[in-house]
Amino acid sequence: MNVIRSEWTKLRSVRSTWIAVLSTISSAVALSVLGSSDLSDVSPTNLPADWDPTAASLDGFLFAQLVIGMLGALSITPEFHNGMIGTSLATVPARSRLLAAKAIVVTAIALVTSLVTTLLTFTGGQIMVSRAGLPAAGIGDPGVAGALIGATLYLTFIALIGAGIGTVTRSTASSLAVLVGALLLVPALGPSLPGFVGEWFARYWPITAGQAAYKVVPMSDMVTPVLGIVILALAAAATTVAGHAAFRVRDV
Amino acid sequence: MLPTESATRSAYAVGIRAEGLTKQYGDKAAVSDLSFSAEPGVITGFLGPNGSGKSTTLRMLLGLVRPTQGKITIGGHHIAELDDPARTIGTLLDARAIHPHRTAQDHLLAFAHAAGLGRERVDEVLEIVGLTDAATRRAGEYSLGMKQRLGIATALLGDPGVLVFDEPLNGLDPEGIRWIRTLMRKMAAEGRTILFSSHLMSEMELTADNLIVIGQGRLIAESTLDEFVRAHTTQGVTVRTASRVELVRALNRAGIKLEETPDSGLLVHGVDSATVGRIAAAEGIALEELTKVRESLEDIFLRLTHDVTDYGSQPA
Repeated sequence: MNVIRSEWTKLRSVRSTWIAVLSTISSAVALSVLGSSDLSDVSPTNLPADWDPTAASLDGFLFAQLVIGMLGALSITPEFHNGMIGTSLATVPARSRLLAAKAIVVTAIALVTSLVTTLLTFTGGQIMVSRAGLPAAGIGDPGVAGALIGATLYLTFIALIGAGIGTVTRSTASSLAVLVGALLLVPALGPSLPGFVGEWFARYWPITAGQAAYKVVPMSDMVTPVLGIVILALAAAATTVAGHAAFRVRDV
Repeated sequence: MLPTESATRSAYAVGIRAEGLTKQYGDKAAVSDLSFSAEPGVITGFLGPNGSGKSTTLRMLLGLVRPTQGKITIGGHHIAELDDPARTIGTLLDARAIHPHRTAQDHLLAFAHAAGLGRERVDEVLEIVGLTDAATRRAGEYSLGMKQRLGIATALLGDPGVLVFDEPLNGLDPEGIRWIRTLMRKMAAEGRTILFSSHLMSEMELTADNLIVIGQGRLIAESTLDEFVRAHTTQGVTVRTASRVELVRALNRAGIKLEETPDSGLLVHGVDSATVGRIAAAEGIALEELTKVRESLEDIFLRLTHDVTDYGSQPA
């Protein structure tokens, strides 16, 4: 408990944490509102068969996921940059305990941030849909609450993945590079690889699979929402275990 | 039991011990078979040139670096085996190891929480190091001297019996150096074990009771400062006279080694001034100057570590 308080004090006392929190929320809302601004072309009488205003509004996560991933990475990389990790480990020599405390604090901050981001993004998106005179989704509609929970977990797991990547790379810049690759490049380029490999990336790359978690209307080319969030959770667990193993073994 | 002074002392009585400590990076040894100890109640100076393995040794002590061989313990235990590490050992590794945007107060509070302590203790250590007025400033705005004070405050949080400071006097002004010296004296007098490193002999001369000297990761000397001075200081005498040739001949006859100094004096080795004076008097030589000289500690240190450096650079 003492170590968790210590890690909370570290994270809450630097601006970068709160800048990341606010950027996550504002970038998701802004992108969602911007993305819905061309809806005036869509005719309410001629909606596409897979009309999913919930998922459409949450496409605003494109940039926000990168920021919340960095929130996770920034829970540890500055300590390696400035050397404070030495003092931290001299105070708490049990490395697993130190890392677990960091993970718990990151999860707590990320969970709250993700929930707020999801609710505001969803609301902002639906307001734009309504304004365009189109049928918007309500939180009580079938499947919507589940999708919002899925979206909250999606962002939270990405923060944990960021923390794992930060622990392995020990560097803010490298963490950013890995996150850009994993969150943006691979989902965009992976599916265009030939044959079986491309198909695997299109369905099972953890980030792509995780995005199925906030679809209300099932998509034939994606995994189911539950399988999607399970795959992302496993990826978060694997990254956390990798970070833990590296942190235990390596000299500081 | 009443909290008598001796009880307080015994609570602190934990020493540091290195046994056959070795750290190998590839085929290069940063630290080789190093054994030494630092005892409670005294200030132990850990001296070596830059790159001699001091920091690696201290990082092994703190469990940050894993030894290739051997061990270094606190009261017989590896740091990870201590029941309450934050209250057993306090450390200043690098004064710059702080987040520049975090205030000094929050920095201390984070480590206080980890040690199970609260804001009161933070205020106390801020008071001890004289940073109370600057407590809510971002640590990045601090001067190096203030960062050193903040680092020492962090080390003192858990009121530990063992204090380890890596180059604590670096970047300090004379007043700051005097302050740390006085603090270390006080902490040692309370029965704590103080181990501090430096690459400057002059800092050791005024502060350390005991000395551990290393070069190229190897132990060169371990003794009290006084013993070290006695063992390594070569006595010499400078003589100046108009009858130089006669004096050189007389001294040579007595089997005494000497050399000429650049300013046309003579430097006589291995004898005291009385002997030189007696020989001169017996020959009827008038002396203009007869001065006892002692090699400075800085010179001894440079000579000793230089010898090791030469040894170390020979092919294996």
